[in-house]
Amino acid sequence: MLSALLVLLGFFAGLLGALTGIGGGILLSPILALHFGIPIREAIGTSLVAVITTSAASSSVHLQRHTTDIRLGMTLELATALGAAVTAYLVGYFNRNVLEGLLAGFLLYSSVTILLRGGKVKDAEEPAVNGDGETVIPPYEPQRYPLGLGASLIAGGLSGLLGIGGGPIKVPVMYIFMNVPLMVATATSNFMIGVTAAASAMVYYRRGDILVEIAAPLAVGVFLGSLLGARLAPRIRTKYVVYLLVAIMLYLAGHLFLHLLTGRAA
Amino acid sequence: MSQLREPAFDRAVALVLRVGAFGCFFIMLAGLLVGLFVHNRIPGEIERAGVLLMLATPVVRVLVAGVLFLREKDWKYGAISFGVLAILLLSAVFGIGEH
Repeated sequence: MLSALLVLLGFFAGLLGALTGIGGGILLSPILALHFGIPIREAIGTSLVAVITTSAASSSVHLQRHTTDIRLGMTLELATALGAAVTAYLVGYFNRNVLEGLLAGFLLYSSVTILLRGGKVKDAEEPAVNGDGETVIPPYEPQRYPLGLGASLIAGGLSGLLGIGGGPIKVPVMYIFMNVPLMVATATSNFMIGVTAAASAMVYYRRGDILVEIAAPLAVGVFLGSLLGARLAPRIRTKYVVYLLVAIMLYLAGHLFLHLLTGRAA
Repeated sequence: MSQLREPAFDRAVALVLRVGAFGCFFIMLAGLLVGLFVHNRIPGEIERAGVLLMLATPVVRVLVAGVLFLREKDWKYGAISFGVLAILLLSAVFGIGEH
């Protein structure tokens, strides 16, 4: 039964996303397009709903741990929301092959950045914990805002175009260039994704590109998967989970490229 | 130092997200379950309500954060929040593609 399969898919994507800190949304639009025969634009619009669900569920957990920089997130959202709204509006002018090619390219890029970090997506050392059992974050001051805003504009643009969260762009930029601790960068990127995806999802919705009967089972699964993943994440060695995610991303990228080469409709 | 430690602020924003996510989950689940027994437009309309709630959640989150910033007399971040809100509302209003 189709709905049960979609709940499972959402659950799996949400679980992997929350366990690794890399949004599972990146898997959804290609899988919907390749394996459920959904036209790429509808696959992207529908995946955006699930992306908002993951962001809301997991960042409510991060916020309780006080690892989210709301001010930084809100500032960068100016750029991500703008980028997402503009590309969501323009996506109608993009050829289906261009979208699939970009999606495959982004999957490859994400896989490579993860592999370059040796599968490490969390801080190497366990975060320090104070007497009240709260995580302690070293003081920091975000730097190079223009660079951060520029990268966010690109991340938002890709999000609106491909139905993804854009974490693999924002997290490294915040961490490496803006001097933000990795834990805060991950939580803040997650936090921003909901607003970014909403900016483009509303455009897709108005155009009729969100398939409600697909989005519902997907959101149910994603919600359960991300809550479970967020609970398990502190207790699980995520390295092998990350490699599993990379393997799936590489498979999907290859599948998309193959489709482009053979010219068959995805 | 960036102000991360504002437990009340974090909690208020987290509450908005949690209500949205849980609400969406239960509405979607209801839609799926009703769909098992009823074969008309009703399950689809329930699921549509879930999608709309999910789309509205980030907008409400930005609004709540903006109001909280203004109440703290943090004009800069209040203005930034309402800037984000303006972009979201514009995309909702002008998102009438060519369908």
